[in-house]
Amino acid sequence: MTDQTNQPHLTEDERHTAADGTLPAERRAYVDAHLAVCDECAADVARIADFMKRTHESTSSPSAPALAELWPPIRARIEAAKVVALDTAGPSASTRPFVWLVAAGVVAAALLMAIVLRVPPREQQTSAVAQVEAESTMLRAVADSTRAYEAEAQILLDRLEIQRATMRPDARAAIDRNLHTVDVAIAELKDAIVRDPNNPALRQLLATSYRQKVELLKRANAS
Amino acid sequence: MKRLLILITLTARCALAQGAAEIGPVLEAHALDSAASINLYLPAGSVRLIAWDRDSIVVRGQKARNARLFYGAGPRSVKMGVENISRGDSEPSHLVIYMPRHGRVSVRTASANIVGEGVSGDFYSSSGNIRLSGVVSSVEAEAMNGSLDLDLTTPWLRARTGDGHLLVRGAPQDVDASTIGGTLDVIAPKVMRGQFVSVSGDIHWIGSPAHGSVFDFSNHTGAVDLTLSPSASAALTLSSVSGSIENGFTRIRPIASPPRTLRFNLGDGDAHVTVRTFKGTIRVRPE
Repeated sequence: MTDQTNQPHLTEDERHTAADGTLPAERRAYVDAHLAVCDECAADVARIADFMKRTHESTSSPSAPALAELWPPIRARIEAAKVVALDTAGPSASTRPFVWLVAAGVVAAALLMAIVLRVPPREQQTSAVAQVEAESTMLRAVADSTRAYEAEAQILLDRLEIQRATMRPDARAAIDRNLHTVDVAIAELKDAIVRDPNNPALRQLLATSYRQKVELLKRANAS
Repeated sequence: MKRLLILITLTARCALAQGAAEIGPVLEAHALDSAASINLYLPAGSVRLIAWDRDSIVVRGQKARNARLFYGAGPRSVKMGVENISRGDSEPSHLVIYMPRHGRVSVRTASANIVGEGVSGDFYSSSGNIRLSGVVSSVEAEAMNGSLDLDLTTPWLRARTGDGHLLVRGAPQDVDASTIGGTLDVIAPKVMRGQFVSVSGDIHWIGSPAHGSVFDFSNHTGAVDLTLSPSASAALTLSSVSGSIENGFTRIRPIASPPRTLRFNLGDGDAHVTVRTFKGTIRVRPE
């Protein structure tokens, strides 16, 4: 059982200690680096962390913080992700429909998460789990699209190798030059993700670069 | 049919009287459905496609001496191209094609330049330049390292190039444009949804975003430079992993400014603009 980098997957113990934050310091760098490149282990650790969080919340519910205490950080995170900030005096007429749309979208997403995860219908749990799950879902979705683009790029590269001999030299040079530019960008982004694996902006940029590469290879195959 | 051909040829000759000598003789002419599709391949030289309000096609031009024109046509479609008879590099052929305005074209060239006037369809050139203008239903233009100049009024536009310069202007509504290393310039005030991407080429956007429009700019090492009208109304989210963010709207107080991210509103924030780079500089400034 190995990942695409031919490293063995994390052991069960490593996954659990990574999830609950008790990983020994001397193993942390290795485990973080592995999680950055192994989607399977990263998804598993995210699931374990999520499960632990929910278990903890359900067992500690009598002394769980009141909704009023939970809400400010959640709201802060929602506000930080917003394109349009809410006016404290209420939305203007021009932004009101958009704000309602955003609110409806957030509610729909939370409901969907609750149904999918079959979370007990307690408001505070739903909100917290939905937030955590939304972040990990987004990271997983971006990782999935990156993997799909990577696989498609490899197929197109194989096809390009067959066509290469029949191409004009200037076309070949242009393709190689552009491919080099994209590959350098992808390598830089992968390095950055190893250092900061939970940065969604990096993963989005990586997915964009892979999309660029796939489109470039399609153009090259059409030339 | 013969009369029709003569009539079309005469009509075309009248229409093209000016400069016809430079364009070259009529190579093909016949009636064609108003929504016909035209497939064309031209390795070297140039092709100019002009939409007209007639149900016919006229092909003029000068084909290379070592090339032959192949041409197959039905009432609703045409497939044509220029191919070498002899070995070696293709000599340039120059074609001018008048086609029905509501037709659709698919053009592919190696090094030949493409010019389209009011013509919808797919345009591809490996190293030739593509220049399109007019009112069209949709356009997809791609080049490997040629430059693209797209001055179009269209509901949908998709453009790609590698090293070439990509210029988007006119009044497209939904635009998806990207380069690898080429500069991407956008001067199109009516864009409602725009996605502009490059890897190492700079992206320049000039104008005032339309009410309710949504823009997404992404770059790796290239800069993203937004020059906005002082009356612009937009909510901007700018983020760079390691590049700098320069805000020229010094009187605007940011909503949020976490590390490497800047959010602020201009006016009522009617349009949404997102910019993301890895290490390219992001500049936002008033016009």
